[in-house]
Amino acid sequence: MAYTKAKIKDLVEGKIDRDTLHTMLSTPKDKERFQIYIEILQEQVEWKDPIILPLGPKLYIVQRQSDKKWMIRSHAGYDFCEWDQNWKLHARIRVRNTAPQMEELYPRLMAPSPEWQVIREYFCPVSGDLLDVEAPTPWYPVIHDFEPDIDTFYKDWLGLPVPERA
Amino acid sequence: MGGGKPVPLDKQSHRKVQVLGIDAGGTMTDTFFVDSEGDFVVGKAQSTPQNEALGLIASSKEGLERWGLTLEEALGEIQTGVYSGTAMLNRVVQRKGLRVGLIVNAGMEDFHRMGRAIQAYLGFAYEDRIHLNTHYYDEPLVPRQLTRGVMERVDMSGTVVIPLREETALTSAKDLIDLDVEGIVISLLHSYRNPAHERRVRDIVLEEVRKSGKKIPVFASTDYYPVRKETHRTNTTILEAYAAEPSRQTLNRISTSFKENGSKFDFRVMATHGGTISWKAKELARTIVSGPIGGVIGAKYLGEVLGYSNIACSDIGGTSFDVALITQNELTIRNDPDMARLVLSLPLVAMDSVGAGAGSFIRLDPYTKAIKLGPDSAGYRVGVCWEESGIETVTISDCHVILGYLNPDNFLGGQVKLDRERAWNAMKEQIADPLGLSVEDAAAGVIELLDSDLRDYLRSMISGKGSTPGNFVCFSYGGAGPVHTYGYTEGLGFEDVIVPAWAAGFSAFGCAAADFEYRYDKSLDINIATDAGDDLKTAQAKILQEAWEELKERVLEEFEINGYTPDKVRLQPGFRMQYRGQLNDLEIESPITEAHTSEDWDKLVDAFNDTYGRVYAASARSPELGYSVTGAIMRGTVPIPKPKIPKEELQGETPPEEARLGTRKFYRHKKWVDAQLYQMETLRPGNRITGPAIIESDATTFVVPGGFETFLDGHRLFHLKEV
Repeated sequence: MAYTKAKIKDLVEGKIDRDTLHTMLSTPKDKERFQIYIEILQEQVEWKDPIILPLGPKLYIVQRQSDKKWMIRSHAGYDFCEWDQNWKLHARIRVRNTAPQMEELYPRLMAPSPEWQVIREYFCPVSGDLLDVEAPTPWYPVIHDFEPDIDTFYKDWLGLPVPERA
Repeated sequence: MGGGKPVPLDKQSHRKVQVLGIDAGGTMTDTFFVDSEGDFVVGKAQSTPQNEALGLIASSKEGLERWGLTLEEALGEIQTGVYSGTAMLNRVVQRKGLRVGLIVNAGMEDFHRMGRAIQAYLGFAYEDRIHLNTHYYDEPLVPRQLTRGVMERVDMSGTVVIPLREETALTSAKDLIDLDVEGIVISLLHSYRNPAHERRVRDIVLEEVRKSGKKIPVFASTDYYPVRKETHRTNTTILEAYAAEPSRQTLNRISTSFKENGSKFDFRVMATHGGTISWKAKELARTIVSGPIGGVIGAKYLGEVLGYSNIACSDIGGTSFDVALITQNELTIRNDPDMARLVLSLPLVAMDSVGAGAGSFIRLDPYTKAIKLGPDSAGYRVGVCWEESGIETVTISDCHVILGYLNPDNFLGGQVKLDRERAWNAMKEQIADPLGLSVEDAAAGVIELLDSDLRDYLRSMISGKGSTPGNFVCFSYGGAGPVHTYGYTEGLGFEDVIVPAWAAGFSAFGCAAADFEYRYDKSLDINIATDAGDDLKTAQAKILQEAWEELKERVLEEFEINGYTPDKVRLQPGFRMQYRGQLNDLEIESPITEAHTSEDWDKLVDAFNDTYGRVYAASARSPELGYSVTGAIMRGTVPIPKPKIPKEELQGETPPEEARLGTRKFYRHKKWVDAQLYQMETLRPGNRITGPAIIESDATTFVVPGGFETFLDGHRLFHLKEV
């Protein structure tokens, strides 16, 4: 089933109506969805470099036009690193590891104890947008969430040519 | 049956119209008129949700025109009118009810908002039920800010654990009144067991409302639905305040506009328990769904008159296939049904539905290429074959049009023109080409798939009751039912398969055939060992009798509103009993009118054991476990005129020449054949038709493929059998 671009835009913006959402969830994915989705995201950013894959809210893998390098970039336009690296290592980080910091978020007895769990918040250095949060044990390394297999995704799943990569 | 045929002049003048049945659906409003000779006519018109009376009047005029009668002439004679519709259900689904306040136990103020987890996926197809992402919670009927708590607690045995702090009830009442609510609902924990606190709160609230000078109705759950399960009971009582009151006004408007046109009868409404009640009834929430029940009641009535005691009722509409079983002339009643994604405490005629109807969408799984039907459907928008519908995905109806089952120029009597080529092209592109099949074979494959799904479903339902189709007569009705009757009954070996000539108006017919009946339920917790002494039995009989007395008062009160004195009312007590420790109870009609002694108690137990042996098996009875009574029931009826079943002389087996409408190409079993077309209304009792044939009427199409034969009996019932 095909949806109009306006419907997909509602989906991206979280304004989609319940009935259409239900149909989307319970039927196989519409073929054109990914491309329309990317188009909408592209219209929402200030820069022109094509988005290859969204990584999270306000976070993308883009093909940098100047050198064809695939970069992980924030909505505000900050390039963290190349696409297969851990972008979090290049972000602004706040670690909540004391009880008062936890209690800014949770009531006292419902907060995790900082000896066992910390909350790490990753921000865009340009805009200050919160891009990701992780809640591991304090000694755990910064998590590299995943390294997408973009070649397979484009070629075998979407049937599209893989964008050029330097 | 009217159809489009001209009315013989001699019949026009002395027809006496007796009964009017109404089925006001979301799109079409059907009216069903019956005259004193048992003749009937069906009227159809577009529904008018803004003022339902308009659509009703239009539909009535359309129907009566076929008899050459004006509305005024007919209405003056009609003795009984029954309404069923979806207006109240829509009001709840769209959350367009009144602003209601809710009083519950302090500390429990969030339970209505949180609801029961099952409410997050009620009504979903199985695939969606196990797909958690699709689950969601609806807005509560009463928002949290209109909910107040009172301090009190009664435990499950009815013992007061915390006395009622009356000042909290007073503050709650004042708060809600100040917030200008349009109704106040009170539902306290275990009030069905001990109503004292809830009644006291109700009186305090009533007093405050009186002092305020405002007119706010107050609904205590114990006065309406004194039954177990807090969410069910609370939801149902809220519906009374939230949706039933506006519906009462709608019904009042309809009643008034019919009165203005000369009617002398008082409208009744089809209720979930299978009887009809007055629009003035105190418990009106139980009229929330009524349409599909009408058909079951109609089948039961036909069965009683014509001597069929085991009936499988099947109804295919645009969106679903509904099945209900009648065993030994008895319906099954469910006590905690769900509607509009709410769990409720209403007695409801049990019916099972699968989301497969004539409007179901057909899709291919993009990975496995398997054909998938539904679960969503085009509903009244038919399919791709109706260009104006805007539908782009092919539906079952498209297959019907492609294969020659339906006449594209006479759908709904020609009100909707269907385009076979559009359906053909869409079917080719979406299904046939990807599968490498011809369009006919793809469409026929889809129909076969649907038929076998429905057949399996019907079979499993009947075998689930420990029976076989051979013990049942299958009734098939609904707009699309007769198109598929052959398909979903083929090879099941039903005792008989019956399609009433008025299949499309069968629900409205059923409404007209339903009793004028009030039914009240109350939960009980009676537990007794099988070898209990006489004292104990007498004590239990007394508890049941007290409950019956309480319910009897309510039933009589309802009839009193409609001007029936108690001596006119026939009361039938009942109870729900189970073997101790078992999970399912049975509803039993009491063999005695009052229970006082231990002998009385034994009679009740005997009636239960008999029924249990009949419903399950005699060897499955387990009297050694002892007995529990889980509820008391009181039903009251008054006699009303019902439609007569037509009885006509049988004529020859050969259909009259004027019934023949030519032939149409019809595809089945890999070949095109010429199916003989007949006009349903012109066929005569006694006519026998051998397939391939298609019998057309304005509102339904009855398909008799090759290998089948149908016989029209003197009651205007088609009997379908394999030859």
